[in-house]
Amino acid sequence: MNLSWPALDDTVHDSQRLFRQVLGAMSEPGTVHELVVPTPPAQPQKPLLGAALWGALLSLCDLDTTIWIGAELDSPALREALTFHTGARITDDPASADFALLTHASFDPRTPFAVGSDTYPDRGTTLLVAVERLENDSNGNTKGERDGQSGWRLSGPGIAESRVLDIGDGAGCRALMTRLAGNRASFPQGLDAIFGCGARLAAIPRSTRIASAEARVDSREVN
Amino acid sequence: MNGYNFAYLDEQTKRMIRRALLKAVAIPGYQVPFGGREMPMPYGWGTGGVQLTASILGADDILKVIDQGADDTTNAVSIRHFFQRVAGVETTTATTAADVIQTRHRIPETPLRSGQILVFQVPIPEPLRFIEPSEQETRLMHALEEYGVMHVKLYEDIARYGHIATTYAYPVKVDGRYVMDPSPIPKFDNPKLDGNPALMLFGAGREKRLYAIPPYTRVESLDFEDHPFEIQRWEHSCALCGSDHSYLDEVITDDKGGRMFVCSDTDYCQTRRGEVA
Ligand SMILES: [Zn+2]
Repeated sequence: MNLSWPALDDTVHDSQRLFRQVLGAMSEPGTVHELVVPTPPAQPQKPLLGAALWGALLSLCDLDTTIWIGAELDSPALREALTFHTGARITDDPASADFALLTHASFDPRTPFAVGSDTYPDRGTTLLVAVERLENDSNGNTKGERDGQSGWRLSGPGIAESRVLDIGDGAGCRALMTRLAGNRASFPQGLDAIFGCGARLAAIPRSTRIASAEARVDSREVN
Repeated sequence: MNGYNFAYLDEQTKRMIRRALLKAVAIPGYQVPFGGREMPMPYGWGTGGVQLTASILGADDILKVIDQGADDTTNAVSIRHFFQRVAGVETTTATTAADVIQTRHRIPETPLRSGQILVFQVPIPEPLRFIEPSEQETRLMHALEEYGVMHVKLYEDIARYGHIATTYAYPVKVDGRYVMDPSPIPKFDNPKLDGNPALMLFGAGREKRLYAIPPYTRVESLDFEDHPFEIQRWEHSCALCGSDHSYLDEVITDDKGGRMFVCSDTDYCQTRRGEVA
């Protein structure tokens, strides 16, 4: 009955390969990684919970982890699939979730995810966010050619100078990026985010400084 | 079946370490506790580093293992053989050819590149431990950024010796926040921690702590305005390759007291000799 939510072909080696890509994404914020994962089934909502986030879930979750699912992604089939494939516990309490599955569209900054404590900042929720757009300024889109003005300029650990990541420009995207930008003020407490768009994945850990990239794009267009 | 999983560790342990590694990368320099496993080698043989390597290693990775810069010491050879046996991975002594490098007490002289991962074996992960034995207290000190004692310790050196006497495990501050023990590397290697394109992971087996420095992260060695941080320097060049900017070991050459200085990084030294020849 969970056949529509696929397992990894080779649990040991596929998990390792996917983990290394997630580690690469977290180590170099804003880099976009293409994950090879069996495609999840059709879903009614947009954005979809795509292959990249499904692969991250399969490689990272087990019976020691708890997952919170945002209302727009939640379904009995997904709950069953996660339990069946990973053994993870589904929780309705965001503050006790190791991972939270959500979409940019419905991100609510008031949701009380765990941000860790000052003595144990690692005990926080990792957000897994489905987005409809995931591009950066080195993935075939030069800054001048980017049509959107929705990029965010990232800097800090994992980034040599700066990198622009574009996750879309909806109100939810802006609320989410504003919340992640707020990590700097609460550091070392904070939220770490992994974004998935189809098979593509990128991350913004709490150590990243986030500024709007709009100013530069606007000035280019005005000139 | 060989009776053990790929890379020895069971999948649940690997996942637990992998989740901890993601948090370590997200909070550079912060020590993440992890539920370490017993490994088929004694503490002091790099069980922390071995567990991290086992959790990240893939069948296609090429592995290098060094101990004090050398690929051929007992410790390095036994860890290399361990991973050849339990993971079937290809190994190398060439820094440039390696995807994953596990190390005890050195950072290779050859600059690392983006995509490489350097795994450090750490005996004592807590840089404040010698000041404060209580884990609860050191956690609080990190939380409050109470690092004054660290400077006091270094300044006592200056008062006593006229310079900072700490030459190994010289404390650093990562991304302007956490004070971190870089493991017992010589302070000569500290500048290589700063802005390195490689990902650096640190594993302490006995204390079950892991921490990380992401690529391109600002790492400063603690110092004082009137006593800036300095690395070791030698009056000699390497007797074998002539390098005048590598970390040198003094070796006894005969029983009449003859001695010479040679590179501690054997791959670096041999590569240079090959290029010169
Ligand atoms: Zn030499």
